[in-house]
Amino acid sequence: MAESTGAARPTRRTVLKTAAVTAGGAALAPRTAVAAGAGEVAAGPGETAVVTLSVNGKRRAVEVEPRVTLLDALRERLGLTGTKKGCDRGECGACTVLVDGERVKSCLTLAVMRQGSEITTIEGLAQGERLHPVQEAFIRHDAFQCGGCTSGQIMSAVACIDEGHAGSDQEIREWMSGNLCRCACYQNIVAAVADAAKGARS
Amino acid sequence: MTELVGRSVARVDGRAKVTGAAIYAADQPVPDALHGVLVMSTVARGEVLRIDASAALAHPGVVAVLTHRDLPKLVVPHFPYVKRFIPMQGTAVHHVGQPVAIVLATTLEQAQEGAALVSVDYRAEKPSVVIDDAREPAFLPQPFRDRPNEIRRGDAASALREAPVRLEARYSSATRHHNPIEPHTTTARWDGDRVTLFESAQGVLVTRTVVATAFGLPPESVRVVAPYLGGGFGAKGPGWPHTLLTAAAARVARRPVRLVLSRAQMYTSAGHRAEYRQHLRIGATREGRLTAIAETSTAQLTATEDSVFNRSDSTIGLYTCPNLHVRHEGVRLDVASSSYMRSPETTSHFGLETALDELSWQLSIDPLELRRRNHAEFNQETGERLTSKRLLECYAMAAERFGWARRQPRTGATKDGDEYVGWGMATETHTFAAMPSTASVTVGVDGKALAQLATQDIGTGTYTVVTQIVADALGLPLRDVQAQIGDSALPPAGLSAASATIPSISGSVDQAARAARDAVVALAVADRHSPLFGAAPAEIETRDGRLVHLRDRHRHDTYRAVVGRAGEPVRRTATVLNQGGHTYGVVFLEARVHARFGSVRVTRVVTAHDLGRVMNRRTARGQVLGGVTWGIGHALMEHTVFDRNTGRVVNPNLSTYLVPVNADAPPEVETLFVDKPDPASTAMGARGFGETPITGVPAAIGNAIYHATGRRLRDLPITQDKLL
Repeated sequence: MAESTGAARPTRRTVLKTAAVTAGGAALAPRTAVAAGAGEVAAGPGETAVVTLSVNGKRRAVEVEPRVTLLDALRERLGLTGTKKGCDRGECGACTVLVDGERVKSCLTLAVMRQGSEITTIEGLAQGERLHPVQEAFIRHDAFQCGGCTSGQIMSAVACIDEGHAGSDQEIREWMSGNLCRCACYQNIVAAVADAAKGARS
Repeated sequence: MTELVGRSVARVDGRAKVTGAAIYAADQPVPDALHGVLVMSTVARGEVLRIDASAALAHPGVVAVLTHRDLPKLVVPHFPYVKRFIPMQGTAVHHVGQPVAIVLATTLEQAQEGAALVSVDYRAEKPSVVIDDAREPAFLPQPFRDRPNEIRRGDAASALREAPVRLEARYSSATRHHNPIEPHTTTARWDGDRVTLFESAQGVLVTRTVVATAFGLPPESVRVVAPYLGGGFGAKGPGWPHTLLTAAAARVARRPVRLVLSRAQMYTSAGHRAEYRQHLRIGATREGRLTAIAETSTAQLTATEDSVFNRSDSTIGLYTCPNLHVRHEGVRLDVASSSYMRSPETTSHFGLETALDELSWQLSIDPLELRRRNHAEFNQETGERLTSKRLLECYAMAAERFGWARRQPRTGATKDGDEYVGWGMATETHTFAAMPSTASVTVGVDGKALAQLATQDIGTGTYTVVTQIVADALGLPLRDVQAQIGDSALPPAGLSAASATIPSISGSVDQAARAARDAVVALAVADRHSPLFGAAPAEIETRDGRLVHLRDRHRHDTYRAVVGRAGEPVRRTATVLNQGGHTYGVVFLEARVHARFGSVRVTRVVTAHDLGRVMNRRTARGQVLGGVTWGIGHALMEHTVFDRNTGRVVNPNLSTYLVPVNADAPPEVETLFVDKPDPASTAMGARGFGETPITGVPAAIGNAIYHATGRRLRDLPITQDKLL
């Protein structure tokens, strides 16, 4: 029995790439495409697009291939390593950031899809030395151990409170279940979110 | 004088972790680094025939595709490198997910795409990957790390024959994976014959030893840096191939290389808790006193290793039993290497603590009372009296708080709405290690202290506890103490594995800090410019950064002034040895089983533990919270599924390998501690603890399910389908 793997089969990424080429009708020759606005990015293999994002209140232009996720754009191109990669497929929540105020798993969205968006990462939450109330509550309630999921938990918690999904411990448990904590400080995370939500209401 | 040690001090690394400022291994900026992605075997048994890298090399940005032909020959390191071979040194394939090539590219995406474009031809044989499919019968492996796999005491066979009461049962559990949130990662940068690694390591010195051995370098030529670690649970304890392959690739490419394993790759790259079968036979008196235990377990071993990680430590020594025969057997299978996973004893302990519950029903003795009757006052192997063992106190505290006395001694007695409610309990125990550790403490001219040692903070709170110890010993406020750890260039110290951190390092940190304090006091009393000049050192108290004369409190000085006048920092180093041992506790819990759906919820938990002196109540509680939820995952959901035809892991991701989410965790966990220093511990009376509070949870859940429903389930995980 012999087996061959690799080039013979289309991969998810080559399919994605083909789709991007078709949709944009771009030439195959490498070039740099500059995105004019949302949904108008077009590039083929090796081509890049300049995406302008507002990250933590600062306008940042980043030149990326269309296949680059928002997560990798933040970490690998903009040097914002506070956002963590746990699974790269939307299962763990470690990469959660706010996009136009909504919590988004940044590994599941391409940077080119977020042209012009307002992105808030963990680095943008504190006001100078003053921590965000959710950050303070996480320390106060010991709502983390290793810290691997913490950036995502906190960003998710900020949105969870904003959404009005932190009305009871039971509600928090459900609405924070998209963020895995393998150290399993879940009881402390619930306490921190509840505490911060109480502060936000008063 | 103790002011901070033992208190619920907030984590000193908290601010760094909640702001994203903590730099984990893959966050380290390394200019000019290439991204590496591994290509892994898709067959479980056979060999690589041909690797076609042309399509990958044609992909923009791909710099190199390295295979076994390109890498330098490496020496297979001894333990703590657990694998008995290094991949990409030849063509043999021993399991699915064995690295066969590494693609280096300028960007991560290019490297990922390049790896997908590498085409590999294999000669493949039909694999066997689960115990049921083993080609050969189970065998008794050679001792592992000098510990035998067959343990005998008395005459178990005769005692079983003569026992008035006998119980025989088979227990089993599936393969599990650690799944820390931070994937394993290595960034290697060579500078001539010296290499620096930014590594997700539970022990920087482990990685240093493994890399130095593999490359034939003196240890000083290898520096391993890991100031923060995004969880490990044992997966990042030993050395693993991806670290060596990244370092080798960086050497060949003459550029730094960063490699991060994908979540799927983690299921074949860094160990797992082996699939496990256990056949238990117990003999007892009618009063429930154990007279014999005979246990044979079978573990999923690999084609190249026969290391047994899930030893039956609790069967061997937790309870008084004069006659014992334990055999840790295994079968060779074509799977990736197994290893230690958070509290390896949990696997066998589930069987023991379930069997005791079964015995308690058979004899109509309360399960807690049965355990009390078999409480061991003596080490079952050496016969020495166990001093400072406070398990009976744990039983009493937790039973009282839980309300165990109100337990209904019948199954299926309580129903609440659609759910049957049951109570279960189990003893918890863990064998911890201790390693020789050195620490240095420096008081700077600014009056602030810096503790340095090559240990880790895996999330258990090492930074915080080190800071507490130094602050107490010197009499400094917490904010004036800093801990620097996670760098192999620091004084050698114990790692974050085997619950060994606190028992290994606390004594040396404390002694180094006390020596530094005494040195500063000596400076002050010898300094004509100090108000303390001429005082006897014994009359000086240190507190809040000040040195105060005990009898004449107007005479005082400060660390900052004394060391500042001396003009150079005061540095002291200490080395302290400790020994390993056992930590004990108990868990009581309530489980609810849905009458129609078979779903199980753990709704109330009370634990009590004796870990000697509790160094920090909140970080100790954190270990209990984590352990309880890990126990829930172990009992009810986690299992790695293999395709028996191909040998591949079917569920190498977090949407099909289920771990507990927030809503799965019990809303309430009461964590009680005896909190009395162990006089035999040189770690300020503390014992190793982190892995203790998971060990009893799976059995306690199974026992509660039995109490709720009358159904005894002996195969883990107890997924919903098994209760329908």
